[in-house]
Amino acid sequence: MTTPSQRSRKVSQVQRVKISPGAVVCVEAEIRGDVTIGARTVVHPRACIIAEAGPIVIGESNLIEEQVLIINKKPDDASPSKDDKPETLVIGSNNVFEVGCRCESLKIGDHNVIEAKAAIGRDTELTRGNVIGAFCEITSHGALPENTIIYGDKYEQRRQYEKPPDQTLQLDFLMKILPNYHRLKKSTKTDR
Amino acid sequence: MASLLQFEKVLMKCSCDIKSPIINLYFCKHCLKLRCGRCVSHEVDSYSCPNCLENMPSAEAKLKKNRCANCLDCPSCNHSLTTRATSVALTDSQSPDKKMTKKVYYLACGLCRWTSRDIGLGDKETASGGWEEHDNPHFERLNELLEFYHQLAIKEKNEREQKKFNKRRTYLRLQEKYFSPGGLATRRKASFLNALSSMAPKTDEPEITPVKLIEPKEEVDPLPSKYYTQPLVLEKVTTLAQRLNRPEFASSQVEGLYPRHKHLVIKRSQRCRECEHNLSKPEYNPSSIKFKIQLVALHHIPDVRIYLVPKLYQAKESIVTILLSNPSQEKMETELEAINEPPSTGLLTVPEGLLVLAAKDITAEFDEKTADTSEFKDNPEKKSSETSQGHIQFRSGHKLGVLFKVTPQTSDSDVVVCFKLKYKYHNTSPSLRTPVEDEEKPDAVWLEHEVEINLGATSP
Repeated sequence: MTTPSQRSRKVSQVQRVKISPGAVVCVEAEIRGDVTIGARTVVHPRACIIAEAGPIVIGESNLIEEQVLIINKKPDDASPSKDDKPETLVIGSNNVFEVGCRCESLKIGDHNVIEAKAAIGRDTELTRGNVIGAFCEITSHGALPENTIIYGDKYEQRRQYEKPPDQTLQLDFLMKILPNYHRLKKSTKTDR
Repeated sequence: MASLLQFEKVLMKCSCDIKSPIINLYFCKHCLKLRCGRCVSHEVDSYSCPNCLENMPSAEAKLKKNRCANCLDCPSCNHSLTTRATSVALTDSQSPDKKMTKKVYYLACGLCRWTSRDIGLGDKETASGGWEEHDNPHFERLNELLEFYHQLAIKEKNEREQKKFNKRRTYLRLQEKYFSPGGLATRRKASFLNALSSMAPKTDEPEITPVKLIEPKEEVDPLPSKYYTQPLVLEKVTTLAQRLNRPEFASSQVEGLYPRHKHLVIKRSQRCRECEHNLSKPEYNPSSIKFKIQLVALHHIPDVRIYLVPKLYQAKESIVTILLSNPSQEKMETELEAINEPPSTGLLTVPEGLLVLAAKDITAEFDEKTADTSEFKDNPEKKSSETSQGHIQFRSGHKLGVLFKVTPQTSDSDVVVCFKLKYKYHNTSPSLRTPVEDEEKPDAVWLEHEVEINLGATSP
């Protein structure tokens, strides 16, 4: 294991954060490693996106709120020799990560909501329209069916008939307001 | 009370001989006795909706079956539903290229994300809703049964009165004459007829329309084969709790879950059964959390808390610190007396003599310097022979740490000690007591309550 100071030094040598034009990423957000952030995605200050074991690719129109931790985490039992094939953490578009949630899942589809203080394990896959309720910790293996909602302290499940509504208005508002009070990270020119 | 979360460790015996934590007790200033929730009479003061806080008179509440007319509960998780606004695009039939947006409202649950669109309820154009009510499918049968039982009740009542009437026939005429309203002549006639008819077999008994009986069946319909052939989709099936929430529909499919009107809540007032004075009376306004009258024990009698318990060993004396605190604005004299009888499971020695608790100074909590406690002279250095010095661990403000000697007599169950807490209660509102002219000071009475403290298990 490397200590945090060692890790940050290593990352600062190779700055690989790619921010698409139109994304709003605050300077106070902690972004480390090979991270790609899509257009119209808002990353609040104090959010944490850490590409430790492999790259992180975040799609468009996502909302990542304060104290959110999105981490491509090294498995605890991984030996250094296995590191040669890094896995990418892919997040689709129109997802909402509410305050204080933790996401280690390698594959997140579109239109999902992870509510405040919820947590998703590395082997869980969110497909489309999933809602993980506040303080629910999901570490199951495999994908959740579309439009599944998990809520409450007993982890009750139900199926919604349509995906949760988009946060377009909220995103527009934040894109207008956040630059007034925070410094933003500059978007990087992509070669694509 | 031991702490805010372990209030069941220290119990006080109420005047009804049931032990309760002090926070559940009332203190009747008029009888000077402790009362608990089981030995006071409860009265409903007001009905209100917990969501919109609308007050409702009791007659209206009864009419609306104790439910709020405006607020709805989620049928899936019982959380309150909120109205959500959204705009939908409308295309005009006359000019298809002209787009219009219309604001519509639907219901949504913040917890499980259920929406009224899930069950196909159409969006509404007004925020207040006007959500269609689903009539009880068994409405007619229920009414029929109600009617039937009503008739039965009338019949029984008539029969009861008949018996009474037979016994008191002699003075019935006088009773009718003086106590019943209506014209005297017609009354007299009626009573006369009544008196006659009581002797003859009764004929004008109300007719009872019989209800259709539902015959029990031996044979039931066989289970539909789809339960064997089709896979079960758990997301489409309602849970037992969801079904029992609406027993009249008991829908087995999630599509049949309709929102339910929110239950009203009440505010109660408690009354002492002996002197019929109010012990607790809330303000009528549903949004107010204040009380007009609130005689909780915590504000009147000394509070006992566990302060420090060392490791307890069987048959070995340990010293336990107990905190006494005085809630009143006057000095309070207390005395303790151990009760070494069951249910106590430890031998207790309490400090002898008078323990004086300082008056509670509300401003002291905001003051940097601690209150002057030198007047109490319980510093061990200045030990005087006749007072209980040496039993006092510390004194701060209105609180006093007292040392108890406990010798546990058990090893397998919790160590419980009991003692009598005697204290001089100053009645600060003299108007409540019978006025005594020659006394200048408000009268003070020695009161005593039994206290039971659970000190936890012994160490091996």
